[in-house]
Amino acid sequence: MATGIRDKVAIIGMGCTRFGERWDVGADGLMVEAFLEALADAGIERARIEAAWVGNALDDINVGNSALPAAHALRLSTVPVTRVENMCATGTEALRGAAYAVASGAVDIALAIGVEKLKDTGYGGLPLRTKGMQNDLWMPYGSAPGTFAQLAGAYAARHGIAVGDLKRAMAHVSWKSHQNGALSPKAHLRGAVDMEKILNAPLIADPLGLFDCCGVSDGAAAAIVTTPEIARALGKADPVTIKAIQLSASNGWEMQFGAWDGASVPNTRAAAARAYAEAGIRDPRAELDMTEVHDCFSITELVIMEDLGLSDDGRAPADILDGRFDSGGAIPCQLDGGLKCFGHPVGASGLRMAYEVYTQLQGRAGERQRGKVDFGLTHNLGGSPFNSVAAVAILGRLN
Amino acid sequence: MSGLTQSFGIAALGGYVPLLRLDRKAAARELAWSGLPMPRTGTRAVADWDEDALTMAVEAARLLCPESAPDALRFASTSAYFTDRAQSGMALDALAMPRTVRTSDAANSRRAATSAMLDALLGRRDEIVTAGEKRPTQPGSAAQLAFGDGAAAVRTGPDAPARLAGYASLSHDLVDRYASRDHPFTYAYEERFVRDVAVAEVLVPVVRAACVAAGIAPGQLAHAAVHEPVGGCWRAVAKALDCGIPNHCEAVSEMAGDLGTAHALYGLGLALDTAEVGEFVLLVSFGSGADAMVFEVTSPVPGASAMAAALKEGQVLASYSRFLSLTGSLELDWGMRAEFEQKAQATVLERVGRDMIGFIGGRDSTGNVQFPKSAFPVNPALSEVEMMEDVRLADLEARIVSITADRLNFSPDPPFDFGLVQFKNGARVLMEMVNRPAEGFRVGDRVRMRLRIKAQNRRLGFRTYFWKAAPLMRPVLGDA
Repeated sequence: MATGIRDKVAIIGMGCTRFGERWDVGADGLMVEAFLEALADAGIERARIEAAWVGNALDDINVGNSALPAAHALRLSTVPVTRVENMCATGTEALRGAAYAVASGAVDIALAIGVEKLKDTGYGGLPLRTKGMQNDLWMPYGSAPGTFAQLAGAYAARHGIAVGDLKRAMAHVSWKSHQNGALSPKAHLRGAVDMEKILNAPLIADPLGLFDCCGVSDGAAAAIVTTPEIARALGKADPVTIKAIQLSASNGWEMQFGAWDGASVPNTRAAAARAYAEAGIRDPRAELDMTEVHDCFSITELVIMEDLGLSDDGRAPADILDGRFDSGGAIPCQLDGGLKCFGHPVGASGLRMAYEVYTQLQGRAGERQRGKVDFGLTHNLGGSPFNSVAAVAILGRLN
Repeated sequence: MSGLTQSFGIAALGGYVPLLRLDRKAAARELAWSGLPMPRTGTRAVADWDEDALTMAVEAARLLCPESAPDALRFASTSAYFTDRAQSGMALDALAMPRTVRTSDAANSRRAATSAMLDALLGRRDEIVTAGEKRPTQPGSAAQLAFGDGAAAVRTGPDAPARLAGYASLSHDLVDRYASRDHPFTYAYEERFVRDVAVAEVLVPVVRAACVAAGIAPGQLAHAAVHEPVGGCWRAVAKALDCGIPNHCEAVSEMAGDLGTAHALYGLGLALDTAEVGEFVLLVSFGSGADAMVFEVTSPVPGASAMAAALKEGQVLASYSRFLSLTGSLELDWGMRAEFEQKAQATVLERVGRDMIGFIGGRDSTGNVQFPKSAFPVNPALSEVEMMEDVRLADLEARIVSITADRLNFSPDPPFDFGLVQFKNGARVLMEMVNRPAEGFRVGDRVRMRLRIKAQNRRLGFRTYFWKAAPLMRPVLGDA
């Protein structure tokens, strides 16, 4: 019987670049920035890193495939470096690889690093390439906002909510994140935005307006992981540990079989259930102190609140408008501003979320500090609502 | 020239007109400053960006092959996209016909379709001839407003409701207009010259000969479908032959435009829809000569009334600049997002292309249908690899499950509507939507499938085709 990885892996150092339009650096520079911060935080020499997992999702723009871009950028000498890619869950996937290596006893210290350099495409949104495969012969070339916008119509239909009412709850999601992002020095977008501006923004994909969509940015984030024993030996008396990392991937059921109503993301529910079990969390609403979820679009965050069990089905709009997930609410979501304010350099986002939870767990978040944080959850959703990879990680402290 | 007594003729007809119609008067007003002469009455049918001669010809032919495949499938067009890839073969796959059906393409003349049809009739074969046209035109030319996009198809067969009673054919290299590799836009010569020579040297002789072959006098004709090279020809011919009957092709020109190879066939559909049993109907197509055929109506011809109805359905295209963009006359700078490469691979097309253009899904052992097929069924009740039975989805209705109007990704005619659609047989497919209603698409809307261009690579000169979901019903013009 598998026992999971709860408390078998400690995070001893993390780094995160300033996210944004980083015209000043390439992907290599971003990785160096995050890596150096993580090394300094861990207080170790880089020669102690025995293995590395690097996550980047879009190899056709600037980072490049394989282990080599990271190995070169960080000058990791003969270290086994593995590149991973799992769409928007890529950053968490890198952390999972490094954590599993430590938990298995294969290595003592491992690095997870995620990076993406999106702003070299010359336009907003994610790039689009086709390679002439079977899916290109039939699948629409919808944009990311286009695919996630479909959650809104399906959600409204399922729960009998007028689209206008849903839009107000979605606008609150974005308003709240911008409020939080204003306190995040590493965020891309740091200005508060008022509700009227959000509600009246031009449409990107009906019913998503500009402010319902997260930004597009460059960025990198990194984590150094080891065993709790080594962490303590390194002077981390009360180290942050990984309580759970779970992943769930679509097998085509949602988009090819007729049973799904499009108003929730089954993979998030599956990954969350397994993560709660792995972490020993029985009542997430009572036990989670904060979440950093995949708010690529406002409607996504709204649906995620139900998928994670933090709202009853059909109640997320009301809970959101009641402030349950605001910074001062019962379970704050996106204390750092989320994808909404950081943007979404795909390979880095999962680790950027972990960085915020890690920071909050240690009480180091400055004016964003939630107070005492015992458990924080991160969530990534790759692909589209109907064809997704969901990753849920839960971090806490060893003691 | 010959007379025929056997009961062989037109078994059924089909037509397709794109949704959008440009008001010629409004378009001419946009160009009034130029002083250029152009037609100012009626409307012109405008194909969507993802429609071409092939897609429209397939749409026209769809209703002609319900149960049994014909002996042959002929595709005719002067504006076919591929010059070394048979559109008839692609149409065969799109219509899910067996590969044993013979195919050929006919081109280079506006009468290519009727000539192919005449060959089928004379050979006494069960064939489908389908003609589609989306001809490139130049802004300012009369042709840009006079021409229209559309398609028409005919199926020949024994014991047909419209019996071929007689025919005549004349070859005459009268250059009334032309298009060429170096001049893809039509180049038209003086109308007075064309009318005088076409009437005297081609049309009057060929119609007279066809009537002789049918054993009737021209005055016994009740309806005509004459594709005139220029306006006024039929009036002159009718006067010369003393048969003042209506030319139904004029209605096609008025409401949809000159449909090139499909024009005479579309007009024939209108004529047969109007004709009574026992009446004689004249069909004439023109282009480097003429084909003339006389049909005797023995019973209502399937498909004819639907062609008449389709002309009256549509949506007014109010934007002249959108018209220019749709016809390729205006090249907008769509920005970097339009630069993505839409590559196709022949190996992939060979493996799965037939299932794609035919919209063939698979039925698993529980009866559930999915698209595309897979070794492991998507049905959660099944866990073993199994062979699936082919199921064509192209002819089935579906409902929209989720939808958005995407304004971010590049589309040549935004917004890009797409979402999940659900078929009753269980298949669920992520699809593009076309023929956007004025109020947009909504969850629960009923949709039907239309063959469209899926991707085009203009640099490599290649297109792929797939099906897109369109509203089940079209608005009637004037209501839209």
